[in-house]
Amino acid sequence: MAYDKTLTKKDIDGLAFRTSLIQACFTFERGLGIGWTYVLSSCLKKIYKDDEEKLAEALEDNMAYMSTNLTAAAFLAGLIAAAEEDKTDRDIPNNLRLALFGPLAGIGDALLWFTVLPIVAGICSSFASQGNVLGPILFFVIYVGIFLARIPLARLGYSLGTKTIGHIKDLSNLVTRAAATLGITVIGGLIASFVSINVVASIPVSEGYEISLQTDFFDNILPNILPLGYTLLMFYLLKYKKINPVCLILITFFLAIVCSFFGIL
Amino acid sequence: MNQITLVQAILLSIMALVVGIDMYLEFLFIFRPIIVSTLTGLILGDLRIGLITGALVELSFAGLTPVGGTQPPNPVLAAIMAPVIAHTSGIGANGALGLALPFSFLMQYIILFYYSSFSLFIPKLTAYAKKGEIKKYTRLACLTVMIVGITYAIIVFLCAYMAQEPMRILVDIMPGWLTNGFEVAGGILPAVGFAILLRMQFKIEYTPYLILGFLLASFLQFGNLLPVALAGAAIAMYQFFEEYKKIKAPASGRANLEYVEEDYSNGI
Repeated sequence: MAYDKTLTKKDIDGLAFRTSLIQACFTFERGLGIGWTYVLSSCLKKIYKDDEEKLAEALEDNMAYMSTNLTAAAFLAGLIAAAEEDKTDRDIPNNLRLALFGPLAGIGDALLWFTVLPIVAGICSSFASQGNVLGPILFFVIYVGIFLARIPLARLGYSLGTKTIGHIKDLSNLVTRAAATLGITVIGGLIASFVSINVVASIPVSEGYEISLQTDFFDNILPNILPLGYTLLMFYLLKYKKINPVCLILITFFLAIVCSFFGIL
Repeated sequence: MNQITLVQAILLSIMALVVGIDMYLEFLFIFRPIIVSTLTGLILGDLRIGLITGALVELSFAGLTPVGGTQPPNPVLAAIMAPVIAHTSGIGANGALGLALPFSFLMQYIILFYYSSFSLFIPKLTAYAKKGEIKKYTRLACLTVMIVGITYAIIVFLCAYMAQEPMRILVDIMPGWLTNGFEVAGGILPAVGFAILLRMQFKIEYTPYLILGFLLASFLQFGNLLPVALAGAAIAMYQFFEEYKKIKAPASGRANLEYVEEDYSNGI
């Protein structure tokens, strides 16, 4: 893009820090629109410094509904700042924002909520459950790092401008798939490590001899077979029977209490 | 059996103010149970219970994510109340998680109410935007953050300080099978969290990786999941580089185009 650059590196880094407030005034009506406008407002003010009408127009446009992953929002903010700086046509930043917030939400959430969080939480929790304070400390350090990653992301978004959107989409598909592979492997591990179902009931075979269902039966088939089975059942109910997660939590409690009453678990 | 002192309750509600704001903004992730329960344990002078309940609550809430603007049961309240209940009533971590859940639902509904009612601020915000008054706009948007933070502080104070006596009585009168039932449920609950993660990520072609992770963790007698994560990372990297080569390599542009189209259909 050929235009006069009014924004400096400092402005772009500022965008990254401003994304910390992007969820301010989140509503179902506007999603992140209100906070998103706050994020861009510093750059917009600089871009339209002598044109109050244009500034008001840009602010109001950005307040429209949008919803994305908060870390990816830093990248989008850099990109949109570049498009706004161009000043040729209001449609360019508006359409870019509308076109990209969805795909960025997809890749950002797949990476951060469904891959990074289970892995980091799984590893840190295995420390914490042994009473090791390293768990929460490690967790904190990693997430400060993830926050700071918003700075290079904003810079990347700004420097890419509008040129290479197609390429980003190609790569984002590959990254999403790789992230899912890693995430699913770890979820398999989490099921084996952290779901515990221990059957205490036993079957009396003859006088003075009984078979423990857990150690003699289930553990002999496959260790952790019950946690795996129960998790897959929950998955089935969620995905194919569309049962609400809160409902499944309550069912789990009910089953646990009933089984406890009858001395099964 | 321990009491929560007034000073501890005030400290807890100050912490709730900070982590509540962090939860609302999803900023530093200090709102996650592994951090919040640990801090709660520190305030109560019982770090160990904080760490252990923290690990449990963290994993039970791992799948309950606020993705796409939905509001899950509130992890902050569960993460504060689980160690508080364990500390004051002497019940185990699993049981405390069960008893903490109602508080978590309570906060979920309060936040849902805010997500709708903050719409009332939008006409005023739009008016500021139209006049280009960025400072006033920012101040009003930040006001909503403070409202959320202060709500957390008040709710946590009421739950931790005022509800401790009724909670203790409740735990005392619970029969053995019921307490055990809560313990058992706490142990199974992470299954629901992992199932939600699977719903978001899982496709049938990912089954091998699920089996691999499950078997590795079942038979590797190792304290944490890092080896499993590394095995997963190895496969993910292999896959990434293979596919990347395919995108870069094709001889003609036509083949390239076809590949990309095919790729999109698999997108999330």
